Amino acid sequence: MKKQLIELRVNGETCELAVEPQRTLLEVLREDLGLTGAKEACGTGECGACTVLIDGKPILSCLRLAIEAQGWEITTIEGLANGEKLHPLQKAFIQYGAIQCGYCTSGMILNAKSILDENPKPSKEEILKGLEGNLCRCTGYNKIVEAIIEASKGVD
Amino acid sequence: MKTELEKKMRIPKFEYFHPSSIEEACSLLYQYKGEAKVLAGGTDLFVKMKKKEIHPRVLVSLKGISNLDKIEWHDKEGLKIGPLVTHDALVHHPVVRERFDFLAETCFKIGTRQVRNMGTLVGNICNASPSSDAAAPLLVLEAKVKLVHLNGERTIPLQEFFLGPFQTALDPQEIVVGIQIPKPAPFTFGSYQYLHKASSVGETLVGTAVLLIMDPKDLISQEARIALSSVAPTPIRAKAAEKILKGKKLEERIIKEAAQVASEETQPRSRPWYRREMSRVLVERAIFQAMEKIR
Repeated sequence: MKKQLIELRVNGETCELAVEPQRTLLEVLREDLGLTGAKEACGTGECGACTVLIDGKPILSCLRLAIEAQGWEITTIEGLANGEKLHPLQKAFIQYGAIQCGYCTSGMILNAKSILDENPKPSKEEILKGLEGNLCRCTGYNKIVEAIIEASKGVD
Repeated sequence: MKTELEKKMRIPKFEYFHPSSIEEACSLLYQYKGEAKVLAGGTDLFVKMKKKEIHPRVLVSLKGISNLDKIEWHDKEGLKIGPLVTHDALVHHPVVRERFDFLAETCFKIGTRQVRNMGTLVGNICNASPSSDAAAPLLVLEAKVKLVHLNGERTIPLQEFFLGPFQTALDPQEIVVGIQIPKPAPFTFGSYQYLHKASSVGETLVGTAVLLIMDPKDLISQEARIALSSVAPTPIRAKAAEKILKGKKLEERIIKEAAQVASEETQPRSRPWYRREMSRVLVERAIFQAMEKIR
């Protein structure tokens, strides 16, 4: 199929690319833009490892065509830190050891960011409901939830 | 070299169109006959394409057509939900929350946070899964589906739209341009109760929606509607159970009788005994929950 010229806004920068229509946003982020923070695990929208934010809302980049990601502000995990300064969620995940293999972490942190943006002081139950689409297969979710609660303390 | 797994998870090639009007979209569907599929949220379509269950040669995206993501409320006609309205949009819409609270609650139960930001209510209906959560509340709300094709349009009750598991009355050349929900009568109360499988996707094992039109003064139900999903080849209405409740004062004995009859109206294919038992329990619970809202 013919490639199409598209323009994506990723982490505040505009990128021009030629892509085939069947390519997902996840493939283009990882393979064309070298942003490998978003992961492919299930590929069918169940695990959340490919989560990125579009205009601040979490979506599954494995089920979104790159050509249909035009016109949105896309945020990947690479765009979260401010230069050398980590985002409070990134700091809290490190502090609480909320990472094992790290495969789910990018999606967890981005979704957590959208949860806190919508509701700065979520309860544990609200956090768990919010994270229902992000699977971690290493451990439980306790440390992840603790880290998000810690990060929420800095949000006022 | 790509591994087998990586290859498997790619979307097969297709020709992509993003028309800027419904007419244009319809003429593309006409031109490509059965070889084209309509793309809205993509959460069902791309999974099926990745799993090689369907192989459309052409995708016609609706995203370039303006106003399809609108939820409109008209005091006479009721609610209109466009084909690009996501579950998340319904969860947060003030009119839906106020007048159709149990539909908003059901949409909040669907999928996950990410899926609700992508998947659309119309897409959910077009997928026609027997276990669709949204179908049951829409059936008791007597929702209608508006379909257009190149030379006209038709509006049919949702009940008639579902033909079988993953089968609908939608012609390959038609597009669903909206779901219409009539304005509810005064004193309308509803509830959706469900049980889901303990799996990563939490697919619904039994879903029951109940709608009561009932004057709070006498607790006599002028009308009662009951719908169930995941217990028959399509989501169904339990009409015999509804008749038992109509015109009656809703006391425990009659509610239990109706719940029993509703469970007998189901036709579950797998785990039939358990699904029937849970249908009875959940219909009863949904009636009580709807009545709770009256007080």
